[in-house]
Amino acid sequence: MAHVTTVGLIDDDRMLIDGMRSWLRGAPELNLETCASTVTEYLAAHPAGEAPVDVALLDLVLRDGSAPTDNIRQLREAGSRVLVISTVPDRAQIIESLRAGADGYLTKDNDLRTLSAAILDIAAGHCAHSPELAFAWAYDSDPGRPRLSPRERQILLDYASGMTLKSAARRAGITVNTAKDYLDRVKTKYREAGRPAYTKIDLARRVSEDGLNPI
Amino acid sequence: MSLSGITTPLRRLRLRYGASEVGSGLDRARSFMILATLLYRMSHLLVGVLAVTQLRRGHPVQYAGVALAVGLSVLTFGAALQRGWFDRWHVGADVLLAGCVLPFVLWGWGGSHSPDSLGWAMLIGTSGMAVAAIALDRLQAVAALVVLALTHLIAYFLVDARAGVLVGHLSSLVSSAAIAGIFWWYLRRQGHLLDEANVRAVEAEVHRARYAERLAHHRALHDTVLATLTALAAGGIDGNSSQVRERCAREAAYLRRLIQRTSDELPHHTVGAALEEAVGSVESLGLRVTTQYHALPEVPPAAAAALADATREALNNVRRHAGTGYAFLTAAGSDAGGIVITVVDRGTGFDLGNHVPGLGLRLSVYARMTEAGGRASVDSAPGEGVRVELRWPT
Repeated sequence: MAHVTTVGLIDDDRMLIDGMRSWLRGAPELNLETCASTVTEYLAAHPAGEAPVDVALLDLVLRDGSAPTDNIRQLREAGSRVLVISTVPDRAQIIESLRAGADGYLTKDNDLRTLSAAILDIAAGHCAHSPELAFAWAYDSDPGRPRLSPRERQILLDYASGMTLKSAARRAGITVNTAKDYLDRVKTKYREAGRPAYTKIDLARRVSEDGLNPI
Repeated sequence: MSLSGITTPLRRLRLRYGASEVGSGLDRARSFMILATLLYRMSHLLVGVLAVTQLRRGHPVQYAGVALAVGLSVLTFGAALQRGWFDRWHVGADVLLAGCVLPFVLWGWGGSHSPDSLGWAMLIGTSGMAVAAIALDRLQAVAALVVLALTHLIAYFLVDARAGVLVGHLSSLVSSAAIAGIFWWYLRRQGHLLDEANVRAVEAEVHRARYAERLAHHRALHDTVLATLTALAAGGIDGNSSQVRERCAREAAYLRRLIQRTSDELPHHTVGAALEEAVGSVESLGLRVTTQYHALPEVPPAAAAALADATREALNNVRRHAGTGYAFLTAAGSDAGGIVITVVDRGTGFDLGNHVPGLGLRLSVYARMTEAGGRASVDSAPGEGVRVELRWPT
């Protein structure tokens, strides 16, 4: 019997929920269980004790004003993995979301194949990479960003430019699996780096970037 | 679907107000006061020269006195003209040496024992007082007035001047200070008001330009997104037909780029506008383009045009040869002010080894980029799409 991955959807756009529902009917390996317009509503409809969905699709910015990172943490605590989706890629928020525990990011204009592949990747415990996510990491100008090796950076840049992982791997002369490892390593580095600045120099730089320094 | 026409109002504004440097109201008030006090001092120096050459012909101390007055004037006003305002030390030296010490030197060693022969040196003190009134602090200016007035009193007492002469000279000393001070106060205030009015005018103009920019966006939205939504809302159209969906996807991509570009908050991106035009031109032919921009730099118009042409050609190649109908465009500025643009597809690709580049690739991409001081490179393999990288400068 084929395994079916259970999916939840939190989005405050009624039309998107309807569209997604009819869309996912075309993917027998996925079962959309719960839809809600806020995380609170979602958790109420899906009480603790009940088996959590494998992957929750979470709209990055919800109209109830909740912080994306809080939403992600709550969903993770409830036992689901999280794929963040949004209409427009906001790079700083994408990075924060992955740091807060999300396992991937996609824009809403991707096709069903890409979406279902991402969901299955995340359900299997991997990170769902996308060019938008890679672009956000590759051009992160935050002083607290982790240091990437030249190889990691090259794969990241090539993947961010829209190349398939296979093409990016060929260009770098490595296997696809190694290339994927590099991307996963970038994610791990970001998770470990966290937001706090490491050194006094970093701190000073952040202060001046944040405009707190009069000079 | 082009954003390029939208940036022009602000650019025009910047040209109008940014390029012409008239100077602030304060600067203009200062240069006027320097000029006015300089003319005042020159008239007094002229009196001094005439007095010395005619009344005290040949007396070396008298000539030395005139030379001192001229030297101090050159120092004080020369520096003011050069730097835009008076140096306090120069003014202080002028008041003390030319205004206070000189009369006594002329009396003691220059043979000036009558009010007539001493008068010119006193006049130098009067024009020195006018400068002191505008260039020094209030306390310093009052101190200058006191020492100059004392000098007048003592020196005219020494040469037995009549009370009328003394009172006349003292009054011209005080009125010089007062007139200069009032002029200075009035001009500064007018200059300040003028500056404020200018700032308000520029603000209003910027506001108008922003409004024009927004209107241009609205017009573009009206012709695309609004028209589509209205047609769909009216019903009777199969929203699921591939034609409608393609159009919706294209317009969604337009909105996405619009948001990305406005969030950059730099309306004068020549590269951004040029790229937008290139994307718009292939989009209207049915290619979907995902774009990501990062910190686009300002580059010379010629380089921007070359980059846009090469990008358009690369996108056209995707449309013609990739067989996917889908392209990725990224453009990112580097720390050094350069830019790297990539055009990528996930289509059929080709074998770099036995591929002869077409005319478009050779002329519009390689040659155009080299000519503009940049570089183009192409990477591909069968079944793995094509990646074109444009780099400026090389």
